[in-house]
Amino acid sequence: MNLSGFDRFLWAACLYGHIVLLAVLWIRRRASSFPVFTSYVIENIVKTSVLYFILSHFSQGAYYYSYWSLGVVDEALQIFVFYELAVHVFCPTGTWAPDVRKTFLGLVCASTLLALSLTLLAHPAAHRWVQTFFLRSNFFSAALLSELFIGTLVLSVTVGLPWKTHAAKIAQGLGAFSILCLAMDIVTTYVGISHNTRVFSELARLKNLTYLGCETYWIAMLWQEAPAPRELPEAMRLKIYTLQKQVEYDLMRIRAWRGN
Amino acid sequence: MRNLYFVVLAVLFLAALLAILLRYSLRARRATDTTWNDLLQRLTWVDRDNIAMIALDVVTESGELRQEASRFALEPPAIWTLLGGLEGLEVLEHNCHVLVELASYIQRWHPEALVVAEQLRLNAREIEWHVGRLKGAAETGNLQSSFAAYAQRATVTYYMMTRHVLELYSQVGFPRLADLQQAL
Repeated sequence: MNLSGFDRFLWAACLYGHIVLLAVLWIRRRASSFPVFTSYVIENIVKTSVLYFILSHFSQGAYYYSYWSLGVVDEALQIFVFYELAVHVFCPTGTWAPDVRKTFLGLVCASTLLALSLTLLAHPAAHRWVQTFFLRSNFFSAALLSELFIGTLVLSVTVGLPWKTHAAKIAQGLGAFSILCLAMDIVTTYVGISHNTRVFSELARLKNLTYLGCETYWIAMLWQEAPAPRELPEAMRLKIYTLQKQVEYDLMRIRAWRGN
Repeated sequence: MRNLYFVVLAVLFLAALLAILLRYSLRARRATDTTWNDLLQRLTWVDRDNIAMIALDVVTESGELRQEASRFALEPPAIWTLLGGLEGLEVLEHNCHVLVELASYIQRWHPEALVVAEQLRLNAREIEWHVGRLKGAAETGNLQSSFAAYAQRATVTYYMMTRHVLELYSQVGFPRLADLQQAL
């Protein structure tokens, strides 16, 4: 397979982008807060290196099978990243907010069902079954991630849970990328890759370019520190925790009344 | 043909997602850009003496539940009048969201306030639930019979929320506590 100069640039830029992003996650000590996202970045570095090695030393067929297969792993990891971000939003005190758990589960089920229904309707033209599977799984993953990202935003705004700075930035990048991917995957799935691979190749380049923008955004945002908190004396901090217990106790007591 | 259906449905789906994204992003942005003065202005006036009267029918000044013999002295029609009916309760529902935002506002500089803001948010959801039940009862014509029980619970929850928000602001030494006391 012959790669153009632009393809090589995109490939290298995405790889270096991931390496810089990983360095930012370690230097700014964000890796422990976002272990799945960090794993996703590492997986992308490994994937790009492995694919380049296969492309240089093995057959074109071996490259395509690795490309399609690793693409599925990539999509699965993106869904786990989304879950990690949802935990940051909906578990503000370390456990799931009780009024959100069921709704969130419903959101995941409904989103999966909707994305699956649309995917089953698609019949992309392709030579190999693995290509059909990849195109469909690409569309499914983009549709699901877009739904989950928007659903989480709607749920958090409705119940009044704020997005923590860095989780919000990762979600914004991933969400914007998923929505753009969804638009591109609609076209790719419709056109297919059996007769003409030009549309697929051009959109793949556009997708990589979009992802490069997303990486740059993550690097810039994750490098910045969240607004520094004001220090509270220990006694005041203790009072705040006592107040929280008091508010919790009040609610339980009011719930326990029997009417007049 | 099947692929055409797919494209039409997928494009409609994408358009719907974008419309929802735009609407809720604007709402989220408005919530983050809110200043303290904006929050105070969003509080709707309520007669705090009436609120206190309804709440103190069940709890003491310190928030403890009254002895069985001395609680629930107010009759349902009196609660209805003091509160201003379902509209009055809807005002409390609106204000309790502002109370949660007031607690979240403190959280911007003091992350420790998160636990209180989260607990207040759950209280606000409880009030929403009570108001929702009453709206349902109004639709089925059972408002009068259900009003006192749900409305009094919601009012006590709101009363306690206002006290806890004031306590939170006082604990972090917020300079404009007096303004908040006046607004609440």
